[in-house]
Amino acid sequence: MNSISVQARKPHRKLTEEEKAKERRKQKTRPYFMVAPAMFFLVVFTFFPIVYLIVLSFFKYNLISKMQFLGVDNYVRLFTVETTFGVALRNTAIYTISLIVLLIFLSMLLAIWLEHSSILNAIAQRLMFLPHLCATLTVAVVFQWLMNDEGMLNAMLRFFHLPALRWLNSSDTALMSIILISTWKSLGYYTLIMLSSLKSIPTELYEAAALDNTGPVRKFFKITLPMVSPQLFFLLITITIGSFKVFDTVRIITEGGPGDSTNTVVLWIYNKAFSGTIQVGLASAAGVVLMLIMAILTGFYFKALNNKIYYQ
Amino acid sequence: MGEIKLENICKSFGTTKVIENLNLTIKDGEFAVLVGASGCGKTTLLRIIAGIGPATSGNLYIDGEEVSDLPPGERDIAMVFQNYAIYPTMTVRGNIEFGLINNKVPKAERTKLVEEVAEIVGLTPYLKRKPSELSGGQRQRVALARAMVKKPAVFLLDEPLSNLDAKLRGAMRSELIELHQRLGTTFVYVTHDQTEAMSMADTIVLLDKGAIQQIAPPSVMYHDPDNVFTAQFIGTPPMNIMPLGEKFLGYRPERVALDHAYGDGFYRKAGNVLTREMLGSETLYKVALENTVGSDGKQAEIMVKSADWKFKVGQACEVYVDKDDLYFFDSAKKRIREKENETVHRECMDMINRT
Repeated sequence: MNSISVQARKPHRKLTEEEKAKERRKQKTRPYFMVAPAMFFLVVFTFFPIVYLIVLSFFKYNLISKMQFLGVDNYVRLFTVETTFGVALRNTAIYTISLIVLLIFLSMLLAIWLEHSSILNAIAQRLMFLPHLCATLTVAVVFQWLMNDEGMLNAMLRFFHLPALRWLNSSDTALMSIILISTWKSLGYYTLIMLSSLKSIPTELYEAAALDNTGPVRKFFKITLPMVSPQLFFLLITITIGSFKVFDTVRIITEGGPGDSTNTVVLWIYNKAFSGTIQVGLASAAGVVLMLIMAILTGFYFKALNNKIYYQ
Repeated sequence: MGEIKLENICKSFGTTKVIENLNLTIKDGEFAVLVGASGCGKTTLLRIIAGIGPATSGNLYIDGEEVSDLPPGERDIAMVFQNYAIYPTMTVRGNIEFGLINNKVPKAERTKLVEEVAEIVGLTPYLKRKPSELSGGQRQRVALARAMVKKPAVFLLDEPLSNLDAKLRGAMRSELIELHQRLGTTFVYVTHDQTEAMSMADTIVLLDKGAIQQIAPPSVMYHDPDNVFTAQFIGTPPMNIMPLGEKFLGYRPERVALDHAYGDGFYRKAGNVLTREMLGSETLYKVALENTVGSDGKQAEIMVKSADWKFKVGQACEVYVDKDDLYFFDSAKKRIREKENETVHRECMDMINRT
């Protein structure tokens, strides 16, 4: 072993007890060093803000003067004095439910329609995905132009002898218009997800079903739906969470108006925290409420639907 | 009741013609096995009978009725798929009664039928389980049960045993044969395994490139092949075929005697042992024959399956084949039978005598 010299390796000798202990310590602590950078970001940008949010919600703070402890005052104010919060909450709920229903229903329908492979369907799939790629600002500008009183949409309505709508300019129709715009923007994305999960269902199952004399409705509810249930569940959760957090669409297109008809929770928080009389504490309380609602909703989804989802 | 008749069936996938003008009649109650190499069209044919991959042209009759345009669920058939295709989101019971619910069978009768069938295939303790909680063999029984409960006139089986391990395969093979004897319905079974075909079939339908090579019971297929393809498909190792002038001569490895004849030793050649495989009760030899040309133009090499294990590699030997074990095929590779074509047959025999 000693007569033959090996170039690159260090000479092998027995390690002392001290060196062994040091090596062991190094092995133990190395993983923590590896994970440290990611943990740092996680703590600084996720954990800390959540904790600080909850802390802030019990104070009165306008970024300039000192923080004042209020106890649960902010929370009481949210549901009594600040009536706009209730409106925002209600609008957000309507928006979320509408999007869930529209997006899941339509994306499923379109996915079934586009399932068959053909050139037309391939083109349709790609076109359908384009709105998802557009910037919200672009979408805002274009739809404001389309939804003008003398715009294209009203022109089409008039062509079919239907009454023209006020779209974004009336508090009756503004929320519906925002819902339409959001649906238009996201439909292609969710249709694509649904389409890929539909195509992953083995054709043999459908053949066996055909031999079992299965009608199309029963085939859909007993075979197709259970087989895509994981993706459907994913859609449900992402649409719910995404819709509850809607901000940029309403901020750019309507700024919450006309009146408060398109005010949403996140927009309300934003306005309270960064414009007018800055009330960070109040905004934080609203943020905590939003967080709790979403946590409860997601927990409910998991509990209620867990048995119905078939994971392969 | 379950007679199947295929008339002038043609099937193309796009521009590729897979099956052309195929005619076949499967008798009622028969266990017919469609066998052939991969891509020969046997599964395509089965799917045509099932209705899930309809023919491009031609007619299909089940029990005298034309069913070519009938949807698969309305034909009186049931199918067991190679990968079982059982519904993964339903329980075993749900899987079995799915078709019954579609056909509006009342609940009481349904339960009775399901439990009856579960008893026959041995699935009674598993009725509440989902497919993901079952073993391969159990899943296959579910597929079988689902087919049986419909009490069809025809059972179609697409390589149902190929996904099972060897031991289970053997057990299921005998179970399927018993099932056929018990139910008496027509079975159409697709496999690429000639042993399965030989052991299970009443009638074998041998296919190659979309055309039927021969339809016959197993023993006839073995002892009386119609053409070279059939002769070489059935039997392990395949029949030795070599040119005889313009025609072809064939004899089975197991009918070759070494160094002394079984019977009359009509065909005799000197040879040299090239390889030796000891299989246990038999030994497989590859023997190069002197003064004989093989199918490839070079020296003829034949396989010999013998109980005699004493020959060594490189050893000289003599091969003997009896007169009755010789098969002759014409230049189109079709069989020349003594009864049908006496003169030509005698010519071939003379050629053997002379060489």
